[in-house]
Amino acid sequence: MPTELLKNPYVHGAVYGVVIVTVLMTITAWSIWFERKFAGRMQSRVGPTLVGPFGLLQPLADAVKLLQKEDIVPASADRALFNLAPPLTVLFALGTAAVIPFSPEVIAADLDVGVLWVLAMGGLTVFPVWIAGWASNNKYALLGGMRSVAQGISYEIPLVLAALVPVTLAGSMSISDIVRYQEKNGWVVGMPPGPGILAFLIFFLASLAEANRIPFDIPEAESELIAGVTTEYTGMKFGLFYLAEYLHTLIVAAVGAALFFGGWAGPFGLGSGLHWMVGKTLLLFFGVFWVRWTFLRFRADQLMSLCWKYLVPAGLVLVMLSAFWVHYKAGTRG
Amino acid sequence: MSVGSLFFSVCALVALVGAVSTVAAKNPIRSAVGLLATIVAIAALFLKLAAQFLAAIQLIVYAGAVVVLFVFVIMLLGPDATTGERPARLRLSRWGGAVLLAAITGAALFVMRKGFGPLVPLGPVRADFGSTEAVGGLVFRGGLVPFEIATALLIVAVVGAIAVARSKPQPKKPRAEGHETRRLFAGPLHPRDAERPLPKESAR
Amino acid sequence: MTELYLPMFIMFAIAAGICAVMFLGGQYLGPKNPTPEKRLPFECGNDTSGTRGVRLSVKFYLTAILFVVFDIEAVFIYPWAALFKGLGWPGFMTMLAFIVALLVALAYCWKKGALEWES
Repeated sequence: MPTELLKNPYVHGAVYGVVIVTVLMTITAWSIWFERKFAGRMQSRVGPTLVGPFGLLQPLADAVKLLQKEDIVPASADRALFNLAPPLTVLFALGTAAVIPFSPEVIAADLDVGVLWVLAMGGLTVFPVWIAGWASNNKYALLGGMRSVAQGISYEIPLVLAALVPVTLAGSMSISDIVRYQEKNGWVVGMPPGPGILAFLIFFLASLAEANRIPFDIPEAESELIAGVTTEYTGMKFGLFYLAEYLHTLIVAAVGAALFFGGWAGPFGLGSGLHWMVGKTLLLFFGVFWVRWTFLRFRADQLMSLCWKYLVPAGLVLVMLSAFWVHYKAGTRG
Repeated sequence: MSVGSLFFSVCALVALVGAVSTVAAKNPIRSAVGLLATIVAIAALFLKLAAQFLAAIQLIVYAGAVVVLFVFVIMLLGPDATTGERPARLRLSRWGGAVLLAAITGAALFVMRKGFGPLVPLGPVRADFGSTEAVGGLVFRGGLVPFEIATALLIVAVVGAIAVARSKPQPKKPRAEGHETRRLFAGPLHPRDAERPLPKESAR
Repeated sequence: MTELYLPMFIMFAIAAGICAVMFLGGQYLGPKNPTPEKRLPFECGNDTSGTRGVRLSVKFYLTAILFVVFDIEAVFIYPWAALFKGLGWPGFMTMLAFIVALLVALAYCWKKGALEWES
């Protein structure tokens, strides 16, 4: 590839933008196949088998099916907002991906404030979901939307605090700087005094909550809210919500891999490269599936007290601990 | 048109449409969505001006937090707020708004026509302009006192919110006594039970 | 790096394009046969009872305002975390005071029962 051409910001942005978006969408589509297979195995079933070998063409079949479905808008819905919400969810999810460094070169926009950008986009995703719930004019959808916002904003605090730990250790908010720091000093998750691993756990839990994944999926608890905010959506609009949920989870896994597991830096001095980042991201993504099919759903009050009574204070203390550690180390060295 | 001016035009257009719909929308929820559009578009303009930190903060604090608060308050007011007619007592604010708009337009026109002396170019922007280090340095080197006062302000906000939102804590209602099934189903399960209601104090 | 908005803009444009294709594809490829029954609010076959206009619990409001406060606080910590190495122990103490104050605020909320979702 002519590297001179890639230095041009337009070309760089366009090439990596297209590549990253395409790859993410592809992984997301087949992750749905993978999750169904995996869930099938865990429940002594076989999962999808009919379309293609091992059911591998299932995502394509699903897409074709969704495209053929009738698009129904309830008569009492707020039509404009109802239609606006599904594309916005996907847009905000993909907007996060721009600042994730998959390798030193493969990054669409290396923002100085990458971590904050990720959190900002994650925080924005509650809106389309809520708008969908409100615009549907269905009380179950609205309740789902309210729960989703309450949960999303509550868990954003621990998420922000947990992401502060790598920022404090590396002394930078740029995600690629944080990865470079880990290349030199070891992964954040293994930081000696322990805030690293605890911060990662908080980050993981809070991300699950923000992506509305089980065990934090009370906003779309099927048994009480039909399907939450997606109740009134049919066809591809429902598909967009579904896609956004998986996309969000995948991107959160990528952010976790970059912030806590060294990103593109390989373990045990095994070199570094794109393959490490992709591998770690997929492993974390797999972890999310595993959690989903293993644990039960929390109750709304359990969710809230877990967040505010345990995760938030723990996050605050962890930030100070890691700052103390950085100072202490600098003091003993100098 | 360069990509830069295309970017500016798109953002400015979104900001304007959002602002107008914030004011003009009949439904408060639509107003909130318009406000959100304005805020996001302004964050994008900050990004173009190389103020990355400000852009991210704008998204986190204003779009993520303040608009959520607005939406919750609208929902808290109930159906009257989201379906309602506008109150009739708007004449004064309409006149006030018209006067202010005229004043601002006049001032802008004056500056554009006459100006206040010759235009002076601002000179090149420093390399670290808008970066986190620059902003953080301002807060933590120069502005420690305002920073600690901000802490106090945040605490006052928490106390005030609780005072507004919470009435006095209700004493816990005594749990139903008696037989286990009666405790489980404290209320008429079947129409015939309604004719023979359970003792009053056992109702939860 | 003043040109950073460009790739971001391009990224969003690509994402918006994909969303538009998927959305419009679903809009135009599917059959169109709206009937009054289909356009009713879906409640698993029951007729709708009540309206959407429910008044929400004040707890949502309380959660939102706590969120605003703690969000602003986190935003204050971020620039500090990015440059506290240069600030030394005095900088550390500044932030310690800030965080202790917030922990006190959190403890106050807890004691007042503002963190209880069910009561």
